[in-house]
Amino acid sequence: MANPRQLDKRRKSIKNIRKITRTMELIATARFKQAMDRAAAATAYTQRMTQLVADLAQSGLEVSHPLLEAREKTEKGVLLVLSANRGLCGGYNSNIVRLAQAKQRELSLEVPDLDVVVSGKRGINGLKFRGVPIDDTYTHFEDKPAYEEVEAIADQLLDSYATGKLDRLDVVYTQFHTVARQEAVVETLLPLGSLDVGKADEKPQKPGTAKQSSGAPAKMYDFLPSAESILEEVVPTSFKIKLFKCFLDAAVSEQVARMVAMKAATDAAGDMIKAISREYNRARQARITNEIMEVISGTEALA
Amino acid sequence: MAELNLIVVTPEKTALETKAEFVALTLFDGEVGIAPGRSPLIGRLGYGEMRLRSGGTTTHYYVDGGFVQVDDNVVSVLTGKAGPAGDLDPAEAQKNLEAAQPLPSNTPELMEIRDRTVLQARGQLRVANRA
Repeated sequence: MANPRQLDKRRKSIKNIRKITRTMELIATARFKQAMDRAAAATAYTQRMTQLVADLAQSGLEVSHPLLEAREKTEKGVLLVLSANRGLCGGYNSNIVRLAQAKQRELSLEVPDLDVVVSGKRGINGLKFRGVPIDDTYTHFEDKPAYEEVEAIADQLLDSYATGKLDRLDVVYTQFHTVARQEAVVETLLPLGSLDVGKADEKPQKPGTAKQSSGAPAKMYDFLPSAESILEEVVPTSFKIKLFKCFLDAAVSEQVARMVAMKAATDAAGDMIKAISREYNRARQARITNEIMEVISGTEALA
Repeated sequence: MAELNLIVVTPEKTALETKAEFVALTLFDGEVGIAPGRSPLIGRLGYGEMRLRSGGTTTHYYVDGGFVQVDDNVVSVLTGKAGPAGDLDPAEAQKNLEAAQPLPSNTPELMEIRDRTVLQARGQLRVANRA
């Protein structure tokens, strides 16, 4: 029979763990809300940007830009992996690491010179452990990636793309669909392919603009200095926004993953406490019964 | 009198949403003044000052490139960074400018990058000194 005191000790320690996981869950929930608000704020920007691109397209402008076209030969590529700095968030980091490793293997066959750039300590350690060579790391992105910091990276990438030091950029990150569904994905950001800044979540806005353009005659915009010059700026900006969106999605997904993982841990701790309590009570009762038996048999022997 | 609705958005937040009588913005190649009733306009912004007059007072902001779209008395400014001109530090802007000037410019692409960085630093410096 198990020792009641040992069981009690275990129960106490699990209770402490439950306290910690519950607190972490609450923190993750609060951070998730904040991250979500930031993502919503970014949507306001992307919506206006989409509108602007649509208006620009209406002027009959030929959309062509070096960033939009694939290079003939891809000599040099960058694989950017966005992971978290902290663990305890379920499969979030391991999914990213697994996908990044597969992609790295696949890309290194196509691209002779591939740089792997990793953001987040967990990803760095995970890939290092799996023997993937890492060329550059960032650890300063937490749950609130600042646009300025992302822009610095984006500028650096754009500059090396413009000067021919980079032909292709792939980003491995966790896409946020809903609170219940996040998915590790690979997205090719350079060459950019198309100009639509908004992803699926911007769709609801489109019918509105369509109505406007079919009802009223198309607005004649003045372009200052010229439509071409504006396009020259639109393309890099939409790249930056896309990259920023990747960082935001990764941050939101991380918090959701942590929230879910900590909720599961809290629930599991509760179940375990229940089971141990039951065992403890039984052990205690057995011991009491045992002692009574001893007392009774003692008195019986004396009588 | 009609008023302008000025909205400044950055990817992180809506930096400013206010009514104004007159807005002046630094474009890529000059300055544009926008009064109520302006015909629709899409412009490419430069690095520089945004002046905003409302109720007789003029406020100065720094806008870090981007676009402006004017439509139906709504002025939307899309930019990477925007903030009151007083937030800029002239010493830092000067340092940025000094760091940008010696960048290599031996190919057209590199020259473009250098020019852009210099312009950005100059814009910051100008706004910071005036504030």
